[in-house]
Amino acid sequence: MIDIADNQNLSDGELVSLSLENQHNFLYLVNRYRFKLLSYIKRLTNVSDDDAEDILQEVFIKVYLNLNDFNSDLKFSSWIYRITHNQVISSHRKLKARPEGHAIDIEDKSALNLAADIDIVAGTDLNILKQKIIKVLDGLERKYRDILILRFLEEKNYQEISDIIRKPQGTVASTINKAKQEFKKEFETQKIIL
Amino acid sequence: MDEKEFEQKLVDKIQADNLSPKPRWHFLLKNYVIWVAGLLALLTGALAVSVIIYLLRYNGWEMQEGTHKSLIEFFLLTLPYFWIVFSGIFIFILYYNLKHTKKGYRYPAYLIVLVVILASIILGGAFYSLGIGQKIDNILGERAPFYGQVFNRQITFWFNPDEGRLVGIISSEVEADNFDLVDPSGNVWKILGRRDELNHLPPDFLRLGEPVNIIGSVVAESQFKADVIRLLVPGRGFFSRPNIRERHEKCLRSNCQLLLPPPPPAMMIIK
Repeated sequence: MIDIADNQNLSDGELVSLSLENQHNFLYLVNRYRFKLLSYIKRLTNVSDDDAEDILQEVFIKVYLNLNDFNSDLKFSSWIYRITHNQVISSHRKLKARPEGHAIDIEDKSALNLAADIDIVAGTDLNILKQKIIKVLDGLERKYRDILILRFLEEKNYQEISDIIRKPQGTVASTINKAKQEFKKEFETQKIIL
Repeated sequence: MDEKEFEQKLVDKIQADNLSPKPRWHFLLKNYVIWVAGLLALLTGALAVSVIIYLLRYNGWEMQEGTHKSLIEFFLLTLPYFWIVFSGIFIFILYYNLKHTKKGYRYPAYLIVLVVILASIILGGAFYSLGIGQKIDNILGERAPFYGQVFNRQITFWFNPDEGRLVGIISSEVEADNFDLVDPSGNVWKILGRRDELNHLPPDFLRLGEPVNIIGSVVAESQFKADVIRLLVPGRGFFSRPNIRERHEKCLRSNCQLLLPPPPPAMMIIK
């Protein structure tokens, strides 16, 4: 196993190679991505915390089993997000969804970026804006919600989103545009309710 | 669940199930299978395209006026549907495989479809120019069941004497105004028509053993008045089948006398 201090300077690709040499090195990759992926899972689905942890464990097991399938043509983060995305979709069918809304957590910066990009009036209260964003995202069709989460909450670029959802960049761009229109429309209709 | 607890649970799971990364060859093999299957689909699709080009090239366009009022009707009736569907299936398999390669998702569907169709047409054209389309048609013509109904509908299309279309193999020396012909069912016909009056007739090609298709009309039992005669190109293998070949050779040995029906009573000379 490599020294803990060393792993900070190593790239994901190097950690993959080291994980193939020694199983315990895989834990550095786990720690590097654990919280990002857990947050992503919770943003994508409305499962309980325990179920989200179970999904995450399945993700890391799949990553571990398929380490030899990773190649440097792809960013490791895109690859692991793709596996997570697919795992969420397959797990979500099996798990009972909570009736209430998504457990989406949004950072202030992401909320403001989303509001600016979609050209919606943010108002003065950031917490209200975040609540509204969560509610609107919750009401969107799955493909639109997922792509907006990747673009604005996970802050992925078009190439990364293309690699995660395995769609051409042109399709990603047009889906994001359509998703923004849908978001804006939904946002406008929910204005009075909140 | 804290960090250590999650890690421990993961390690326990990996150890309890004795998990280890799948070997690299497993993924390489999967990748090769997709590419090789795609390549085979491309080759098969291109072979089908070469047959389509061959069948369409010698579809008998020049005889369309004698058989159909409109070119579209003729075109639709004589299209090689089997080969179009067959090549379509393999073009789809190629598309599917390309889309499922490691980077296939990066390209839009229309671009992959375009590349796949163009590749099949270009390779199919190359196969056709090498004579492969003709070879396939000949082999199927000689052996395949339902050849005339499925693989080359021109045989069925042209074998309809009542509608003025006849196809068969020339089974006698070609005289100035008649010759004998064995049709796909093995029946012998006396074909009437002055060579110099026939349209689209390349005189040097009209000779014993050549399969031809004819536009004309039935004038008496087993007698067909020809207006247009054309050498049959696709479907030549069909006339090499043993049953037709035997009938043809029998016809040759007897000058077709034994095989042609006797002339109708009205035409018999009564002494």
